[in-house]
Order: sequence, then structure tokens, then C-alpha cells
Amino acid sequence: MSDELIQIETPFAFNEENQREFDELIGRYPIKEAAMLPTLHLAQNQTGYITPAVMKYVAEQLEVSVMKVKDVVTFYPMFFEEPVGDYVIRVCHTLPCALRDCKVVLEHLKEKLGTDIASETNLAKGTTADGKFTLMKVECLASCDVAPVIMVNGDLHKNLTPEKVDELLAKLAS
Amino acid sequence: MVEERRILYEHLDVPDINTFDVFRQYDGYTRFEKAIAEYQPEDIAKMVLDSGLKGRGGAGFSTGEKWSFVPKDIKPCYLCCNADESEPGTFSNRYVLEKNPHLLIEGILICCYAMGIETTYIYIRGEFTLGKKMLDAAIKEAYEQGYLGKDIRGTGLNVDIYSHPGAGAYICGEETGLIESLEGKRGQPRNKPPFPAVEGVFRKPTVVQNVETLCNLPFIIGNGVEWYTQMGPTYADTRFDPPKPDANTGTKLYCISGDVNEPGVYELDLGLTSTELIEVAGGLRGEEVKAVIPGGSSAPILTHYELDTRLDFTSLTLAKSMLGSGGIIVMNETRNIVDCLLNIMKFYAHESCGQCTPCRWGTPWVRDIVQRIADGDGRKDTITRPKFGVAENGRWGDTGETEEIYEDLDLLESVANNIANVDTMTWNTICVFGIAVSWPAVSYMRKFRPEFEATIREGKLVTLPVAEATVPPEENYAYQQRFVPKEFADL
Repeated sequence: MSDELIQIETPFAFNEENQREFDELIGRYPIKEAAMLPTLHLAQNQTGYITPAVMKYVAEQLEVSVMKVKDVVTFYPMFFEEPVGDYVIRVCHTLPCALRDCKVVLEHLKEKLGTDIASETNLAKGTTADGKFTLMKVECLASCDVAPVIMVNGDLHKNLTPEKVDELLAKLAS
Repeated sequence: MVEERRILYEHLDVPDINTFDVFRQYDGYTRFEKAIAEYQPEDIAKMVLDSGLKGRGGAGFSTGEKWSFVPKDIKPCYLCCNADESEPGTFSNRYVLEKNPHLLIEGILICCYAMGIETTYIYIRGEFTLGKKMLDAAIKEAYEQGYLGKDIRGTGLNVDIYSHPGAGAYICGEETGLIESLEGKRGQPRNKPPFPAVEGVFRKPTVVQNVETLCNLPFIIGNGVEWYTQMGPTYADTRFDPPKPDANTGTKLYCISGDVNEPGVYELDLGLTSTELIEVAGGLRGEEVKAVIPGGSSAPILTHYELDTRLDFTSLTLAKSMLGSGGIIVMNETRNIVDCLLNIMKFYAHESCGQCTPCRWGTPWVRDIVQRIADGDGRKDTITRPKFGVAENGRWGDTGETEEIYEDLDLLESVANNIANVDTMTWNTICVFGIAVSWPAVSYMRKFRPEFEATIREGKLVTLPVAEATVPPEENYAYQQRFVPKEFADL
């Protein structure tokens, strides 16, 4: 990643609140690099996704190379390198949810949102045209007792049926 | 009917138990106070060893023994609490974190006191947004009340607890993967040895324990070793000569999901059978049990012939399976095992960290084979094999018999066994993810071979009746006790 490429992006810096939180974070670890995951979470919460400018900024803050940050960002599925919708809908499709018909919920969501399922390399595929929702499949969300489950941003929605999905979408759209 | 014995979960549903004041009313932190007032750190380590507490995260390794490997002279020493609960079918830790986080903090304090640890990192799964919020609030409260920080309650003990969010990678639940991830790198497991107890996070001795294991500590200290050891069965492990007593003490948070009427977490003594557990969980949803996964999706499957196998560490190991994380998934007669295996293999193909070649390439390969079978394109062939016997001419020789072979099933077993061999228990990968892939792949295929064969033959998913789909134990070596070489039996 050359410097010219990074210049195209809008530069990134933590806002005041996140800067405070970051300063607190960094004191928890004997080496700065260890704060990588919490720092990237902070940055992603601020911008919505990890741009090259974010990676450069995080690398400077943690005193590591940009490549190392990129290395981490590409490994973990929770970090996005492309823009996502305001609401990220994660549908669990692992065995316990599959045994409780998560397929019905997924198909219903696809139909209602009129979008495909995002893949890790193509998030735009699962994002609605108005940029409000991103639909993606995820592995076990550790809530198998209340399957099928979906997670909308940080909130878990349990025992879903197509009717409950409709209710939820109506609430989110308003 | 088996009764639930709630110890860890006893006060889980008390309103506001997540706050310090309410937790305090229910004996909160008194066990920690007892520990520092009445015992020396060595006494606590001894008590934990004597209690026979086994790690609840998956490997089932004795906690006391693990602590004894930590060198006393290297400081600082760290504690990593593994709250990266990602094994499909497991969800007990989430409830502890969301509803009763102070119990975990008390367990951590006892561990820190026993091991002389000053810093603890709780590696919490990135998806546990609510759990992290509750835990952070509880940690903050504990600092305010003087149970964390410098010079706790005037004893000179310093303990700091930090929560560290993960970011959605299953492999970070493996202890060395967790350590790498905690250091801000990709969560790719390390070669062992050195074990984390000697060289772990930041290259210092590290104790890695699951949430449930740590939550057991206050009760061992509070009620004594004798009270703890009377729960659960003790076996004579006949793999050793002379047989070694093998204790399965304490309760287990069994997470039951799938085809039962009341899925959920049930806290029961170790050593009950699948049939009993299904009964506790409101009975089966459906007519007949087809299969039970006993310990998260990595565990080899149990058939309806094995429903009386006790669900504890020893019995399941002898049944060539494992208790793992205690995530039990029940399947009824309508389920297709090929389809279930496909779902699990998609999970592993997605979650392989990509560090070791056999796993990086083998896991998607296994998935593709199962996908092919499920799509109806499974490869089979009719071949003439030299089968020796008394031939038509009355002389010994090739009988010329033809045989139908299922190429894809042989290939599936061969690829899986080359990631990790389930018969010799040797893996060609750095971590045990390899065995977590090949265990389900090979056990499903061997135990439910008729269903796989029918699916390939018919060219579409065929769900056979339970009795026809399952291979009886006497006909299949998949059921037999795992091979343990004599020379390793003492290790």
C-alpha cells in the first residue's frame, strides 16, 4: 500500500470520546500492539468500516506497520473493508439454528429486503440500494436455545418466525 | 427423573444479580474473603487439584494439574479467561456473562490469589455485545467497591481485570490462538510446547481457563473439597494398568439444543445419559432419536444405540467421543445426516485459520465432497475387484465378483484422516482444529453409512428410517474404543 493511495481517502482521526477511550485502552497492555482489536473496534464504530486511512492511523497509534494492521483486519470477519448498511443483519445458519428452520427466516429476509446475501469479499451484494441494511450469514451466535436467531448490529433477536421478522423490519425502517 | 442441581446457575434468575449489592446478598465475594482469610495460596491450588475439577472449555484437562505447571519464579504471570464461546451448540457462558458477571470476577480473584497473578484478560467474543456491557459494568463496580485494583481489602493483593473483545474468529477459542489474538495478531495457534503455562501471553507464564471452570472455584472454596467431590461419578480408567481412578466431579452446564421441547442450559451432575438429559429438557420433539452430538459440533456423533452412554469426560472418551464444551445437539428421525454433516463442514471450512496446509486445503475439500454427495452428484463405481476365494473351477483364486464402491466415501475418509487421523489420534496440524474437522466427518460417515450410500445411489438426499440408517455397533469399528498405545498410556 503506497502513500499516494492512502492520500486519496479522507484522513482519519479518533474523535474526542474515542481518543479518551483509546488512551485508557493502551495502558492495559505491556505492549501497544496488543490493543489492536479493541482499537479497530473503536475505529470501526466511528467510521462504519475500516478504510486504508483508518489502518494507517491505527498503525501509527500502535507503532506497527500498516501491513500488520491489514493482516489483522482481513483475518477477522467482524471488520469490514467496504461500506455496510446502517443495520447489519447477521443470520446464524449453523446446525442448531438450521434444525430450527433458519432457512425460512433467511429467505424471508432476502425477499423482504430485496437483496442477496453478502459475502466476505463482496459486502455490496448484500446491501440494500438505500444503504440501510446489510444482510449476511454468520456462524454460531451461541444462542442455540432460542434458535433461530439473528443479530441486528449489537442486538440479538430470538425465536424468529417470518411474522416476527416483519415486525422487526417495520420497527427498524421507521 | 433426574433433578437439576443448580450451583453455578443457582442465583442466575434473581433480579439485578448483576449488581454488586444484590450479588453481595447472595454470599457474593464471601468465598473470596474466606480464601484470603483462611488459606495460603498453595492451599487453594491443593484444594483445586484435590477437587478433581476438569477444564470445562473442551479439552477436559485437570485444572489443578495445569496450575502446577506454572513456574513460580517467573513474574509477571497472566490469567486469560476464555469467554470466546463459539462452539456450535454451546451457550452457557453467555448467560453467566450477561446475568451474573460478579461470579466470574470472584472466581478470577480466587485464581489470581492462588497463582499470584496481578493481571487478567477476559477474552470475550466480539458478538457478545450485551455480555461485554454487563461484564464491564460489573468490573467497574468491583473496582469501586475495592474488590479490584491495588491493595484489595487491605490485604496487599493487587488484581486488575480487563475485558478484551474478539472479532468473530472461532479459532480464537483455542488457547494459543486466543493468546496470539490477545497480542494483537491473527488468531493463529502456536506450536506446543512451550505450553501457555510456561510461555503464554507476552511470552510470560499464562493460565488459560474457561468461564465455567473459573465459576466453579468460589464453590470449591466456599463448601469444601469433600462437598464438591461427592458430586459426579468416579471411574477406574482401565486403559491404564493398574486402573487409575478418574474423577468426574462437580456439575456441568449442559447446553441442549435441536429437537427437544425445551432447549436451554441445564445444570446437572456429570454422568447422566443422553436419554435422561432429553427427558430433563422437556422430551424429544419428534418420534425417535436419530443421533445426539454430545459435546459441540466437533464431537463424534452418538447413534441411537449409544443413548445410554454417560455424558461425562471418561465415559465419552471411552465411547470414542468427547464431552467437549457440553453442547448437546439432538436430532430426530426426520433429519438427514448428510445434510447435517454438510452444515458442520461449511462451518469448519469457513473457520479454518489457514495456517497449516492440511487443514487449509483439506477442510474445504471435505466440504466439497459432502456438498457433491448432498447435491446428488456423489461418485460411485462398479468395479471388478480381485476377490480371492474358491473360484468357479473349484480352485483357489480370483472369484471375479463385482463390487459397488462408493468412491466419494472413501475419498472423504482419506482426506479427513489426512488432516487428522481419528484412529491413531494423531494430527497433521498445529492445533486440534484438525481433529475437530475429521472427527465429525469420519464418525458421521461410518456410523450412518447406509444413509450416505443411499444418497449417492439415488442421486438425491435420502432420509432413511433410524434403524436402517444406522450401522450397529458390532459391525463397525467407528464405535470401538480409541487406540491408546501402551507406551503412552502413562503420559
